Amino acid sequence: MSIKERLGKELLFLDGGMGTLLQAQGLEAGELPETWNIKYPEKVCAVHQQYAQAGCDILLANTFGANRCKYHDTEYSLEEVIRAGIENAKKAGTYVALDVGPTGKLLKPLGDLSFEEAYEVFAEIVHYGEKYGADLIYIETMSDTYEAKAAVLAAKENTSLPVFATMIFDEKGKLLTGGDVPSVVAMLEGLRVDAIGMNCGLGPKQALPILKIMRKYSSLPVIVKPNAGLPKQKDGETYYDVEPETFAKTMLEIVDAGAAAVGGCCGTTPEHIREMVNACQGKAILPIEKKQDTIISSYGRAVILGDKPVIIGERINPTGKKHLKEALKKRDFDYILKEAITQQDAGAHILDVNVGLPDIDEVAMMKEAVRQIQSVTNLPLQIDTVNTAAMDEALRIYNGKPMLNSVNGKKESMDAVFPVIQKYGGVVIGLTLDEDGIPDTAGGRAQIAGKIISEAEKYDIDKKDIVIDVLAMTISSEKNGAKVALEALKMVREMYGVRTVLGVSNISFGLPKRSIINSHFYSMAMANGLSAGIINPLSEEMMQAYDSYVALMGYDENCESYIAQYAAQKEEPVKKASVQMTLPYAIERGLKEEAYKITRELVKEKTPLDIIKEELIPALNVVGEGFEKGSVFLPQLLMSADAAKIAFAVVKEQLSKDHIQEEKKDKILLATVKGDIHDIGKNIVKVLLENYDFEVIDMGKDVLPEAIVQRVKEEQIRLVGLSALMTTTVVSMEETIRQLKEAEPECKVMVGGAVLNQEYADRIGADFYGKDAMQSVHYAQKLFEKKEDL
Amino acid sequence: MEKRVSEAVRYLGYGKHVVDDRTMDLIEQSFTELEQVAQIRGVYQYFACNVEKDEVYVGKMQIKSKDLAKNLKGCREVAMLGVTLGIDVDRLIRRYMVADMAKAVACQACAAAFLEEVCDEQQEKIEKEKAEEHLHIRPRFSPGYGDFDIHHQKDILRILDTHRKIGLSMTDSFMLTPTKSVTALIGICEENMQCHRTGCESCEKQDCLYRRS
Repeated sequence: MSIKERLGKELLFLDGGMGTLLQAQGLEAGELPETWNIKYPEKVCAVHQQYAQAGCDILLANTFGANRCKYHDTEYSLEEVIRAGIENAKKAGTYVALDVGPTGKLLKPLGDLSFEEAYEVFAEIVHYGEKYGADLIYIETMSDTYEAKAAVLAAKENTSLPVFATMIFDEKGKLLTGGDVPSVVAMLEGLRVDAIGMNCGLGPKQALPILKIMRKYSSLPVIVKPNAGLPKQKDGETYYDVEPETFAKTMLEIVDAGAAAVGGCCGTTPEHIREMVNACQGKAILPIEKKQDTIISSYGRAVILGDKPVIIGERINPTGKKHLKEALKKRDFDYILKEAITQQDAGAHILDVNVGLPDIDEVAMMKEAVRQIQSVTNLPLQIDTVNTAAMDEALRIYNGKPMLNSVNGKKESMDAVFPVIQKYGGVVIGLTLDEDGIPDTAGGRAQIAGKIISEAEKYDIDKKDIVIDVLAMTISSEKNGAKVALEALKMVREMYGVRTVLGVSNISFGLPKRSIINSHFYSMAMANGLSAGIINPLSEEMMQAYDSYVALMGYDENCESYIAQYAAQKEEPVKKASVQMTLPYAIERGLKEEAYKITRELVKEKTPLDIIKEELIPALNVVGEGFEKGSVFLPQLLMSADAAKIAFAVVKEQLSKDHIQEEKKDKILLATVKGDIHDIGKNIVKVLLENYDFEVIDMGKDVLPEAIVQRVKEEQIRLVGLSALMTTTVVSMEETIRQLKEAEPECKVMVGGAVLNQEYADRIGADFYGKDAMQSVHYAQKLFEKKEDL
Repeated sequence: MEKRVSEAVRYLGYGKHVVDDRTMDLIEQSFTELEQVAQIRGVYQYFACNVEKDEVYVGKMQIKSKDLAKNLKGCREVAMLGVTLGIDVDRLIRRYMVADMAKAVACQACAAAFLEEVCDEQQEKIEKEKAEEHLHIRPRFSPGYGDFDIHHQKDILRILDTHRKIGLSMTDSFMLTPTKSVTALIGICEENMQCHRTGCESCEKQDCLYRRS
């Protein structure tokens, strides 16, 4: 019988620790255990044999660290140690798993290993695993959902073997990278692994409550493979002290609580496993029930669509938004990221991401947007596109289980979208329209919902992963638009028990004061069972509607959130800025709000250009000079820069109202060089350059020299600023300069960073070394022949 | 002023200047937020060591470094240490780099000061442990200090198994990830030398803006 046939039907036993046992036989700290597969096969085989005799059904080959990131050995190749590892284990006569541990590296955006590289690393080893006869792939000790996703995809796409995946949780049920149990379960189930679970990190006692949470959300068999207790340290040595009998006793409780496969990790020995098998053998496993929770997740949190409605922020969508359109065209991600952060701060639970514009490469843009947004917020995202390629690639690189907007009742749509969901997992919005258009009646829309749900079943997509959008039609042109939508909301919930979603704002299209209609319709929709409204969380009226609904329906314990939100709010109108305060004063002191208010007043009296010339620039100069003299310090300089930025924005708004074309700005490209992930210095320079009216193209951190050269060519850039923090990365700075000078000899390069000095900068061929951010500004001004006063 | 606050102020480049109220607010807010998101984890292990003139042997590691040899002179044992504030600190700073640069800079400085504090605590723990054996400790010394080559970062992480134990790894350029992390060696010796600090002060960059005075 294959392992897949037995999994989930009978209790399966996995082995225990390998590393500790090999250490006892002389493996040194830091030595590669996998080399022992060839150097001392008899010792490795002996351990396997003991576990087999203890009663294990599945043995993990000694291949935990066998991946090209971790395993560097001149004597034995990766392929050789994996082959030997599997062969050694197979001698014991049980099922053998290719053991796949983490790469030991942190993935981008916070580390330097890209998702695609991680995928390649795992693809290589799972390929060997299948080639040399492993019965399954066992992905374990993962502390990062993103890395786990890369490993699972690699295993699913490159082998036909069953895939088990276990993560390492702490006592609070969190991963080292922040994820919780429901978010892990949602993602791994979405990726369609065969079994999920936990290993390492905890002892059996601490694993028990985590198992219970996992069982609550998981429709898959759950594996528990804990350490022999929590790690303890004595004299700098780590040890585990739960004895085999105690271990076995708790493992029995774990089986009673619903584990489908059990084993041990660090500190467990064949004795632990033998006792465990003796205690648990013959026990039936608890039935594995299909769960109905609709879960969307990111690396850091899960959002469950339940009775309490959630908010999907609608603002990252260029439709009707001039600034966002411009930002997308310029690849100015800061604008998009700010939209993400402000929506989260305003109370959004999920963010819709739509970057579709006629003239852009939507696939590349969507991928980059998803990556970037996930680097600043842990909110789950809703990928919003009709482009199937963009859908596929965005879902692939998304860290977690995303929401997808959308599929509809047309055959063509379902044929294209469902395979993507089947492959990567996700909750998909089903729009109730089909080849015949949008039905006028609630019944008609419910019928399409039914069609979508049953078609999804063919792809093994459960209805919990479908949320229905019954479509709110604009009432100014469709008299019954709202009525039908409300009726349909109720109907689909009653008929199919599915969750619902609605783009709320559409209802008021063409009407004045749209927020009045929107917020009332929003309340009505929630009352009719709307699970998730796609709304503007920055709209006060919409949030009032939401907060009131939640309080009224008893979802806000003791009205705590409501009180926290509204008790302190004063009912007086916004105060006018104090008469004495001037714009330069506000900027010099970094007072953002005041700078905004004063500038709003000023534009009524003065021309925008005069404001810039007479108020803004002089104020900035005072601050800049102060910084250079040592009377103003970095945080103050930046607070002032922020205040000035806000004032500039108001002035520019006025310029465009007056139909005055802004002068074309000089472009400067900034990047932190390849291999370097510290970019705070570069970002400081950026803020200041923008203040002084340069257009900054920010390529971020860890940027390849080739990419910089290409962008310089594309945009005909005359000045590039590079930063590097350490001696190890100045090398790539030098290489970048070399390539730049070769391709674009006219382009100047200024450099900065902790290890640099003038001498060093000269040596690597830089044109300018900026000791601090202001010096870069001066150099840029000189280069572009800008006068100090304008 | 609390030590970590004064350290943060130093990292922000204030030198001996008085800190303005708004920056002080930023610093205080930063510490509060950092305390909320930090997942402090540390791991250490003792190894026998052999110190020669400009070379040090720690377990299986061979380190060519005059400065380290000087720091460990007379030691026969070292504690190898890895500490991290966790990945959410990096996320917090990244978020502020988009939303509020002044706050990002303050957070960055405070996180560095916070990390030093956490290292001090770990060091004190080791000191106490060793005091029972009537042994004393030397100031911690990290790869990258003086001529202690940063490339040794790799061995230290591997030997301590930091990725699995505390979620600490490094980039191909030997930068620690999460960034607010430290690895260090702490010498253990019989003699109680009145140690001068050899962290910041031992650096050759005499004109550094952030140098501890």
